[in-house]
Formats: sequence, C-alpha cells, structure tokens
Amino acid sequence: MKIDLSNPAWRQTLPPARSIAADAPVAATAFSRDGTSVAFALGDGSVRILPADIAAPAAGAADPVHGGAVLAVVADPAGDGFVSGGDDGRLLRLAADGTATEFFHQKGKWIDHLAAHKATGAIAASAGKSAFVVKDGEVREFGPHQSTVADLDFSKDGGRLACAHYGGVTVWSIGQVTLPPRRFAWRGSHVALRWSTDGKFIATGTQENDIHVWRMAQATDMRMQGYPAKVKSLSWTADARFLYTSSQPVFTAWSFSGKGPEGKPPLQFGEEGAGLLSVVAAHPTAEFVAGGYDSGELQLGDIKTKRSVALKMADGSAITCLAWSPDGFRLAAGNERGDLLVVDLRR
Amino acid sequence: MAQAQVPVTVLTGYLGAGKTTLLNRILSEQHGKKYAVIVNEFGELGVDNDLVVNADEEVFEMNNGCICCTVRGDLIRIIEGLMKRKDKFDGILVETTGLADPGPVAQTFFTDDDVKARTRLDAIVTVVDAKHFLGQLGQGSEAEEQVAFADVILLNKTDLVSPEELAKVEGKITAINPYARIHKTQKSQIELAAILDKGAFDLNRILEFEPDFLEHGHDHNHEEEVKSLSITSDRSVDPEKFQKWMGALLQLRGADIFRSKGILAIDGAPRRYVYQGVHMMMDSDWGSPWNANDKRASKLVFIGRNLDGDNLKRGFEDCLK
Repeated sequence: MKIDLSNPAWRQTLPPARSIAADAPVAATAFSRDGTSVAFALGDGSVRILPADIAAPAAGAADPVHGGAVLAVVADPAGDGFVSGGDDGRLLRLAADGTATEFFHQKGKWIDHLAAHKATGAIAASAGKSAFVVKDGEVREFGPHQSTVADLDFSKDGGRLACAHYGGVTVWSIGQVTLPPRRFAWRGSHVALRWSTDGKFIATGTQENDIHVWRMAQATDMRMQGYPAKVKSLSWTADARFLYTSSQPVFTAWSFSGKGPEGKPPLQFGEEGAGLLSVVAAHPTAEFVAGGYDSGELQLGDIKTKRSVALKMADGSAITCLAWSPDGFRLAAGNERGDLLVVDLRR
Repeated sequence: MAQAQVPVTVLTGYLGAGKTTLLNRILSEQHGKKYAVIVNEFGELGVDNDLVVNADEEVFEMNNGCICCTVRGDLIRIIEGLMKRKDKFDGILVETTGLADPGPVAQTFFTDDDVKARTRLDAIVTVVDAKHFLGQLGQGSEAEEQVAFADVILLNKTDLVSPEELAKVEGKITAINPYARIHKTQKSQIELAAILDKGAFDLNRILEFEPDFLEHGHDHNHEEEVKSLSITSDRSVDPEKFQKWMGALLQLRGADIFRSKGILAIDGAPRRYVYQGVHMMMDSDWGSPWNANDKRASKLVFIGRNLDGDNLKRGFEDCLK
C-alpha cells in the first residue's frame, strides 16, 4: 500500500477522517508507540485518547489529569500509553486507558516541552531553566541554563540532549559518563529546536524570524532569513536530507545534501494555502510532509512530485499540532478551537 | 482567529510601595472578573490562585543591532501558554520587580506578533510610596523611570506623610511626568476601574486619556534630569520630513526617550495622524477626522532623560510646511 497524490480521488474529495469537537485548545498530539491510539493534550487539563482506527468506537470526554492546561504529550517510549506535561508542573505517565501516574512535580514551573527517545526509553521534559531526563526510573536534572528552556530534543542515538534558550543551544551528554556541556552560541532568543534525524545538525527558530543551524562536527553555523513570522515548527525528513519549516504559505524545505543550504534558496512547492503554515511534520518514512495553516487549512505535500493536496479546508482556527502514526498512514491534527482530527490516508 | 485582545496592565513600583497589596486586593475582591496575574519570583502573594503565574524576569536583547530593543521573553512564552487554557481571562496583570526598568515589558508588546495578536498593552500603573519616594530618587534611576513610564500613578501610603510632604512628592512626580493620572491612596485602596482598562496605549484614545492633551504645555521643569517636554504648532507637518527626523531621533536618542506620543496635522490629510512609542519602538495610525471647526494643530510629547528641548523644537520646526 502507498500514498499516491496523483490519484484523482485526492482532488475530488477530502480523505476519510474522524473529527471531534473537544471545546478546549489543543496544545499537542501524538500516536502511541504501537500506533493503535492517538492522544491530544487539551487546555482543560485532560488528555483525550482516541483509537487510531477512525471507524472504531471512541470514548467520550476524559477527566482532567492536570490542573490548568496540558502543554505537551508524547508517546511513552516504554509502553503503549503516553507521557504528558502541564502548567501544573507535573509530568505524568498515562496508560493506554488514560490511567495517570506521576513521574515528578516541579512546583510553580510549567512542563511545556517533552521529547521521548524510542530506543533508550528516555523522556526529557523542560521545567523552567532546567531540563529533566527520566530514564530507568531515575530523574536527572540538566541545567539551569541562562534562561528558560524554550525547546529540547534528543540526538539520534539518545546519548545527548539539546536545549534551546537565550544566546543559543546547550548540548548535554546524558549517558553514564558525565561530560561537560557544549555551548553553541548565537545571540537572541531561540524558540524552537530540532536535532536532525542523522544527528549531524541542530536547527533552531529564533525570535527574529529566521532559522539557525549548527553543524555538530565542525561546530560551524548558518543562518537562513526571510520569514515573515517566527518559525516555531521545524521538521527533518526521515533521511535527514531536508528540513521543513513553518511560517510560509507553501511547503518550504532546506536541502542538507551536498554542500548544504547556505546561499541557496529553499525548495518551495505545493498549492499556496490560506495564511501561513503554523505546523509542519515530515512523514516518518517516505517523502511526504503534512502542513497545518494558521487559517485551519491542512495539506499533504509530496516533495518528489512537488504536488500538494488539501486534507481539510480553512475554518479560521489555527492548526496547533500534527502527528504521524508510526506506519505513516494516519495523521492527527489539533487546533486552537479544540477540534481533534484523525485522517486516514489509505485510499 | 478574530479573538478579542486581552488587555494587559503592567504594575511597577519601587520595593515596598504596595504592589503586592494591590494585587492581593484585585485577586480577592468580588468583581466577577477573571484576571491572570504574572508575578516575579520574589513576590509573595497571599492569595493561592491557579491564575497566578510565577515568572523570572528574563530580558534579552533583540538580535537586530538595536541595543535598547530589550524584550521579556518569559512574557512571550507565558502569554502563549495562557492562551492554551480553556478558561479565558478578562485581563492580565504583570507585576515587575521593584528594581525593574519598565522598558522591556512595554517593548514586548511592540515586538512580538503573537503577543500583539492576542493581547494589548493597556496601561503602565506605578505605585509610589509617598513616604520614601524622594529618598529613593537618590538611590538609582529606577524610581524615577517607573514614574516617567507611568500612565497611572498610585501615590500610596498618604497616611504616613504630612500634607506638606505629600504636596512635595506630588510636585516631584508632576515635574517628571505631568501626563500620568495620579490617585492618592492608602493601603493601595483603589477602584479597579481607575487602573484597569484605561486604553493608554490605544492610538484612538490618546485624546480621551488626556483631556488637556492639546491645551497647554509643561515646559517649566528645566531642572529635572528625567522630565517631559511638549512641542506644539498650528502649521501643518510634512510627513516625509517628519518620518525622517523622528526615525533619526529615535535611532540616536531612543535609549533616553522613555515614552513619546503625538497628534499631527499632516499637510492635506483629512484625519489626525497619531503615534506613540516606547524607546525606539513606535506605533502609528490615522486617527479621527478633522472637522470644519477643529483647529488643525500638532502636539508632540516626550518623556525621557536629558532631553534637549531647543534641539527637539528646532528639529520639529524643520518638518513644518
């Protein structure tokens, strides 16, 4: 089975999908490790878990597990449930049925960014100026940094953790051997961070509407400018050849094969959507990319054929989060208004 | 996406002036409204409330070559986070530390697009300790700058000073910033309507907020280091020359100009041109139309440090037709 955007069905009808109105802003979404369920982090303190199969019966609204808003959710790398963080400062493990147990609690802090590493089972959470890594039942603190951690990500092998903050990025070695952290400096506030899928690059989005990329091996860096808004969403393709970025009206990919993207324009393709892309998510295995717009439009793009198709029309509520199922046949999206969407791309 | 912008009130004031008392009153009073309060980590609020967010004042310099473009990144992050909650707010209050420069807080609302889309800076409210203010002036620039930035001033603890002392403090405040509205209070007791929803940064309300804005100048305070200055003219303004002059002025002197605002009679324009700014950052727009009976006049106001009145006046006069 494969996704083929030249199939005329994509232009005639929208693909089958499940859409549920949850009535609370959606901050994040993730599929479980086994791909059978999908979780949405909601602004009323609940995490709504739906079956990935859009025809399967879905449970009703869930009870709040966090006080305030849930700010982040990722697949539990050690099971088939999820891990969530909230503005109540709690990090929770949620079983597939939604039962919550607390990992830890940072009183007065928000847990607003999470990363999970599948192979090592480690979970990283930002809380104030520090990052916390939970692994094998042990919690370790990395920090404090000079300012609040704005985003974080694991290296490919899970041996290091990168944290974005004012003035650049700090990379911590999180293995048993404790090495001094490495600093990658660039002035200003860095608001988003993604480590490339091959481990060679770290990309950040900055307050000044540009993106910054460091080569890990040489510790050299590059800057790409020209965005009309902050780039808050970055996504590397599975083969690490391209970095997708939000904040453009069409899919925008910087090529990292050969000499890299510096001094060259990015690859831009697809139908111009309504508004600017607010979230981008590269497909987990193939050359596709999903993009959500601040207008609510949702598109699927194919970098090989330079085509894109609509998965959902603009409705005035910005898409806030996207997630691919591990097999790449289902896409989850949430928006500011609280609509939970699961699209089935097999057609 | 056309959500209403949530008004944000910035609460400043020297250590011990009564900010925390005021916040506690706002949070505990039965007013039927919901306010999120962003407090600095050193503050001690008596009210345990999930709408209180602790912030570390994290100021950073924008990477755009402008040294006074400092912004509170923590505020950007917190406002974004608050908008992810299901419950919405009638307003947000930001308390700064006693020694904070109000510049970065205010500039945050000029700089960040997401913050601008969701919130609007309503007013800067400064609490002044009537007993200690004059002494604080000698201890650094903070107390003075907080008054200079203010739209509303709570002259607090008036019960602890004599009428003569009070008059002296009030005179000093007026010498620094005659445009702020002063409310005399004890134990920070004030009607919320006097400090919230003032629209002090609303370009359309510049006239409304200061009824005597176009009436008379306040150039009598030559001895102050931080003071205000107004320039008026009934000749019309050449827009290109004005842009050029103002741009150069803010580039060169922006660090010393805390607040600026103005209403201009642009040559040939049917409507008033209004602007206001904090340091080098500025917002401007066309305001209400000139009616047949209106006297077409322009007025500029600057509040800042070491302002050279003659130089400013000459500069503005070169922009006139």
